[in-house]
Amino acid sequence: MSKKDNRSISAALAMATCSLLGSGIPAPVDAQEEPEWDFNTSLLYYGEDGDRVKDYSVKAIARRMFVDDRVLSLSMTVDSLTGATPNGAIRQDTAQTFTRPSGNAAYDVQSGVLPLDDTFLDTRVALTANWQQPVGETSLVNVGASASKEYDYTHFGVNAKIARDFNKRNTTLAAGIALSIDSLDPVGGAPAPLTPMLDVGDTSNRIGNQDKDVLDVVLGVTQVVNRNLVVQANYSYSKSDGYLTDPYKVLSIVDGTTGDTLLRTPTPGVEGPSHQVLFESRPGDRTKHSVYTQAKYYMNGKVLDASYRYMTDDWEIDSHTVDLRYRWPVGEDRYIEPHLRLYTQSEAEFYRLSLVDSDPLPVFASADYRLGNFDAVTAGAKYGWKTSNDNDMSVRLEWYRQSGSVPAAQVVGNQATRDNYPDLNAVILQFSYRF
Amino acid sequence: MKIKIGLAAAAVVFAAGCSSMGVEPWERDILAREDMQMTTDEAEAVTDEHIYFSKEASSGGRGFGGGGCGCN
Repeated sequence: MSKKDNRSISAALAMATCSLLGSGIPAPVDAQEEPEWDFNTSLLYYGEDGDRVKDYSVKAIARRMFVDDRVLSLSMTVDSLTGATPNGAIRQDTAQTFTRPSGNAAYDVQSGVLPLDDTFLDTRVALTANWQQPVGETSLVNVGASASKEYDYTHFGVNAKIARDFNKRNTTLAAGIALSIDSLDPVGGAPAPLTPMLDVGDTSNRIGNQDKDVLDVVLGVTQVVNRNLVVQANYSYSKSDGYLTDPYKVLSIVDGTTGDTLLRTPTPGVEGPSHQVLFESRPGDRTKHSVYTQAKYYMNGKVLDASYRYMTDDWEIDSHTVDLRYRWPVGEDRYIEPHLRLYTQSEAEFYRLSLVDSDPLPVFASADYRLGNFDAVTAGAKYGWKTSNDNDMSVRLEWYRQSGSVPAAQVVGNQATRDNYPDLNAVILQFSYRF
Repeated sequence: MKIKIGLAAAAVVFAAGCSSMGVEPWERDILAREDMQMTTDEAEAVTDEHIYFSKEASSGGRGFGGGGCGCN
């Protein structure tokens, strides 16, 4: 069949469809239509309870449509982060002193309190650019680049994706690849793994800047099942190489009987750690596999969006994520969308609450709570409406709660009487405006 | 080579299975709705990806794995 035949059949079908819908024959699309911009902007507040992390974020995504379905997308995000984050050391029944990551000062933590490093302060700017265009009748190609900069971290990335439709556009196969080249320039220089935190002014264990590369591959299929149901399944592979350690996280060295952190005496006349802690150490590579499935189901005006993700990696972390959204129209041009997300992960094989001084030192160890065994729940809702000039506005408010536990075999002596893995509670508030 | 043949065979079986599903071009009114797209709000999706990448050990699935951030 020639292209001309195809076109005349398409035109006949379009006319038949329009007749059926009673909308008449559409005016022919002007091939020289002026390109148009549209913008998707948002303001975000993310705040953890206590004195922990707060993030104010502004995001703008600009999209310019060209003729022949070609699309240019540009985005910019600015994050302003403040607050304190756990440094990895355990609580003690006495006050503790730590050297700041810069190595230039020290900070104190009250007895019985989870040690938090309160120097967490950063501004992050991230930019992305993507170009999408059809190739032939049934394929769509998308290429992009990304860059971000924060005080101690720089990222450059490129990505490409191709999607092809089959079966009257009811089946879409997609493949994508992304490469990320990142460099870390930690405050004070990255510490050598598993070396002790030193006195203020002593930088002899710092090894300078580090690099990290990440390769991501995604293969996916999207299938229209019927008029009301579309489903998607993706397989993702992610390989990270380089410095994957958190340069600011430490582990406490504890007595094998009491579970209390061993004391340390700073050099006279110099401030320094009051207890023995080591900087953490993670493997230099990590391979993740994940399977993601999603369904969108239309039910008399309401839309259910359900997804499930399983992830496993060679750090022995397994995770399951279920995400449910239900968009419920309210009147003509408003909706409310409740959201529930359930997440669970197992701990990394090298996760340790603390290190016992009489045990041989492991090659890899981290007390980072994000590598621990925990469950998380996000619950909230979004309310969206059309403004008087027909633009979209929405506000969403959600609560995020993380509850973890330390494997019983890792809890030593007095540690059993302390809350080793306190809950994390956060609020997510986001305003979005599309015009 | 074996992998390629295996993938091709899987694709054929899959395509045959999927060809019985779907709609005709004139039945796409609901599927074309904005609220029926796999990602309805890109800014929200990117924000969530960034938050959970920072706080959990998993990332990606829907698309590329997030990252480009010293937060994890």
